[in-house]
Amino acid sequence: MSKELVGSAMVVGGGITGMQTALDLADAGYYVYLVEKKPSIGGVMAQLDKTFPTNDCAM
Amino acid sequence: MTLSEVTSISGEAGNFEVEVLKKPRYVDMNKCIACGACVEKCPKKVDNDYNAGLNKRKAIYVEYDQAVPLKFAIDAENCIKLTKGKCGLCEKTCPTGAINYDDKPETVKLNVGSVVLAPGFKAFDPSVFDTYQYTKFPNVVTALEFERLLSASGPTLGHLVKQSKDHEEPKKVAFFQCIGSRDINRCDNGYCSSVCCMYAIKEAVIAKEHSGGDLDCAIFYMDMRTHGKDFERYYEKAKDDGVRFVRSRVHTINPVPETNDLEVRYVDDQGKIQTEVFNMIVLSVGLEIDGSTIELAKTLNIELTPGNFAQTGTFTPVQTSRKGIVASGAFLGPRDIPQSMVDASAAAGVAGEGLAPVRGTMLKEVQTTPERDVFGEAPRIGVFVCHCGINIGGVVDVPSVAEYAKTLPFVEYTADNMFSCSQDTQDKMTQIIKEQNLNRIVVAACTPKTHEPLFQETLMAAGLNKYMFEMVNIRNQDSWVHKESPEKATEKAMDLVRMGVAKVALQNPLAEAQLQVGQTAMIVGGGLSGMAAAETLALQGYETHIIEKSDRLGGNALKLYKTPKGEVIGDKVAELVESINSNDKIKVHLNTTIENVDGFVGNFKARLKENGEEAFLDHGIAVMATGGKAYTPDEYMYGNDPRVLTTLEMDEKMKSDDSLVKDADCAVFIQCVGSREPERPYCSRVCCTHSVDNALELKRRKPDMNVFILYRDIRTYGEKEYLYKEARDAGVIFVRYDLENKPKVSVDNGNLKIVVKDHVLNRDLEIEPDVISLATAIVPNTVNDLAQFYKLPMNDDGFFIEAHAKLGPSEFATDGVFLAGIAHYPKPIEEAIAQGKAAASRAITLLARKEIFTSGQVAKVDPVLCSSCGICVNVCPYSAPSFKTEGPFAGKAEINPVLCKGCGLCVASCRSGAIHHNGFDNDQIFSQIFAVNA
Amino acid sequence: MSEYEPKIVSFLCNWCSYGAADLAGVSRFQYPDNFRVIRIPCTGRMSPKFFLSALREGADAVWVSG
Repeated sequence: MSKELVGSAMVVGGGITGMQTALDLADAGYYVYLVEKKPSIGGVMAQLDKTFPTNDCAM
Repeated sequence: MTLSEVTSISGEAGNFEVEVLKKPRYVDMNKCIACGACVEKCPKKVDNDYNAGLNKRKAIYVEYDQAVPLKFAIDAENCIKLTKGKCGLCEKTCPTGAINYDDKPETVKLNVGSVVLAPGFKAFDPSVFDTYQYTKFPNVVTALEFERLLSASGPTLGHLVKQSKDHEEPKKVAFFQCIGSRDINRCDNGYCSSVCCMYAIKEAVIAKEHSGGDLDCAIFYMDMRTHGKDFERYYEKAKDDGVRFVRSRVHTINPVPETNDLEVRYVDDQGKIQTEVFNMIVLSVGLEIDGSTIELAKTLNIELTPGNFAQTGTFTPVQTSRKGIVASGAFLGPRDIPQSMVDASAAAGVAGEGLAPVRGTMLKEVQTTPERDVFGEAPRIGVFVCHCGINIGGVVDVPSVAEYAKTLPFVEYTADNMFSCSQDTQDKMTQIIKEQNLNRIVVAACTPKTHEPLFQETLMAAGLNKYMFEMVNIRNQDSWVHKESPEKATEKAMDLVRMGVAKVALQNPLAEAQLQVGQTAMIVGGGLSGMAAAETLALQGYETHIIEKSDRLGGNALKLYKTPKGEVIGDKVAELVESINSNDKIKVHLNTTIENVDGFVGNFKARLKENGEEAFLDHGIAVMATGGKAYTPDEYMYGNDPRVLTTLEMDEKMKSDDSLVKDADCAVFIQCVGSREPERPYCSRVCCTHSVDNALELKRRKPDMNVFILYRDIRTYGEKEYLYKEARDAGVIFVRYDLENKPKVSVDNGNLKIVVKDHVLNRDLEIEPDVISLATAIVPNTVNDLAQFYKLPMNDDGFFIEAHAKLGPSEFATDGVFLAGIAHYPKPIEEAIAQGKAAASRAITLLARKEIFTSGQVAKVDPVLCSSCGICVNVCPYSAPSFKTEGPFAGKAEINPVLCKGCGLCVASCRSGAIHHNGFDNDQIFSQIFAVNA
Repeated sequence: MSEYEPKIVSFLCNWCSYGAADLAGVSRFQYPDNFRVIRIPCTGRMSPKFFLSALREGADAVWVSG
């Protein structure tokens, strides 16, 4: 292991998976930097209309 | 951190130095109030990426109305002021002075312990194909464009119209599969994109729903790959609903003169050329990794696969080639939302594995809004009615419902929202509650079962007790089920709102009991996913117990031979078992069954039978990793001839290089044995890859062996597709059969004989194999007792039902219980391990809180009225009521709010009317009954 | 008589029938609109007074499901 452990993590990408990773890490007690190249998070799922099998709204 | 990109990472696992380039937004986030005045003035129109370029946005923009953060940004490439130095209209318009043309890029240095890469994918651009004429014909669209056309927030507000100038509604729509996937001739993406078959079916079904059913949808495909949970059922239902499925790769599209229609020429199953005219063609474009991601991987020194996805091991599914950097989502391979959610939690779990000693050291205090005391205030009710896009608004007259609500007693404020659950609306509601000084809120939208907690957070943010809330279900129980009678649905919505208002008016603020979360984890099942979960939990510092009913760890993996990547499974399992056994945080209980479980989240107590002796285990959380087994076939002469094997038996024979395999000159694999049948209508997901891999291995060992695979659809999803191609190149012969025309196995003069109808030659094919391998279905282990103990739902096939099919694949609706591996759905090793780690990660988010609050909706005794009859003590299934032994009301009943589940049995049973039910009190239910009729 | 539509008040258990009614919506089942749902935490919560009161208020039937 390295010299000194740092209690934070960086997540690159603010899509559905990046957001969930960031939430899990934060809830587990680590400070998270979420880095997204676009002006807002959400990724492709925010573009989807509905999701199967329930046809729930994706937003 | 938005508009930001990682430029370099140095250091090592546990302590990285990261440089992030923050690009200028040209809008001060602290000043921008997202009023949109700048957009109106901005003269520059740009293609709108969010709507897949179907309409225009301005050079100053937000991606969409629900965007987070909801702050505008200037697109520097297109802004006239930034490119030509003139204009400046937005600066003049902005009421808060948020525009700053001099904003400069900034490099930020971060110090982090681990890094997770989740850069996602981009949709394949079909302009490169002249066959499909995407750029030439407006009515040829990509699936993402079609998705936006169907969306209520899209450019046509969900109204499906052709993209040619006539903008008429299409009558016939064709979907072409595998555009930019499974294709190395015209693009370099040899892999299967995994998700397109399902999204095409979904779009076809929804398009038919939007158009009232007479729309004709045809899907042209090579193999239909519906290998996910409940996908096969969706596929079958789509067939029933009239979606047509045509097995063919279309070679030509020609315009029909004088119209905007398109003629499609294709070769059908029998080899005949067919033509059909469609109004619209949807290209089911694949997923691919963006060039900038490939650059990033190079910068970070991370190895990629041939398809440019992150290179990982089967047993380390989220770990990249660089220690301390893990990956998640589509960067690991093309995948759907649930799998991405599994990866996400797995990545979080693995990223945290090395950091447990410094957990919590960098956290900042969260600001909470103090609760406003509303005692003694008259009710001031706010009613918010939701359109839910067109889900509600398309049937119920939402503005009228909101208007009607104004007339109800104590209602001071009403509004209708497009999407009440979006962050911007939540913020607006918080604002309104404060400004209007509201003290009780009704939201008429979807169902409280999914959305109540979200709105309760909004109340808390506004300083209200979260129980001063009532949700009225006008979607699931109204607009969705009364589509044909909008007037009646509107009337019903008004009735339901009136009932909700009557109830909430009588609501009082409630307090919640605090509960300690036991810091011990119990994992049921010692297979790969169970062990993976244990490993992550233990490495993050939690005491973990594995309960295994057999006498060894390893589960089904012990029977498997090797992975498609060539790893020998036996060796890898042995390594994992060794690491589990040597970890002093993990205690393994072999030969152990669970006899009973009591308690609740944070405080479960299991009664075990360990090697025949009774033992008890207290645990805060539990993980169900109970696995599955191979279906035992009774078809294809299995059991009657020793040369007919199941896949697992074939693996054993290949491991030992048994003469049955070694001496064979002809081998046949039969797929879908017990899967995708009426009694088991699901795909077992792993069998195609497994058989193809075994077939290849036979060819490697003995190149002149005749190897056949009899299949219905080959489902080698993702980069597993390479194996399929390799097998074809190696001379493995693939013969497709139909469910109605299954292969027939017989013994003729002591020789095995298979007869199967060949579709290409349109005649029967006879094969005399020396060995047959049956790709048997995976069935879940029977766990009815566990399901009962923890109150976990199971589907018709016996798999557990997760909390949410898309967003909560690794947890249950029951608090404190998590799910991993085949108990969820059949899956290969890498996915089982990822889900084990995901379940652990989800569990850690609960364990790390150390204490939780239980519901305030519990029963409460008024000791003055209690007659000490003891009925409540007798009827309660949770032992929550007991007699007070001391104090002024000794002898009267009292209810432990932690144990109380709020079922109300004691309330209804109490003959003295002494028990009140917080949140469902008698007067509240009566008020609803009285309000049924206006 | 064919025009007769009974007015029904239904009490649905939050954990099963209420969830099932949600699911019916998700599956887009279409059904008559002549009943109104009151969500209760459990059918154990049902008191005889609720039946009587619903009938007195003009309901033709009371439906309890859980």
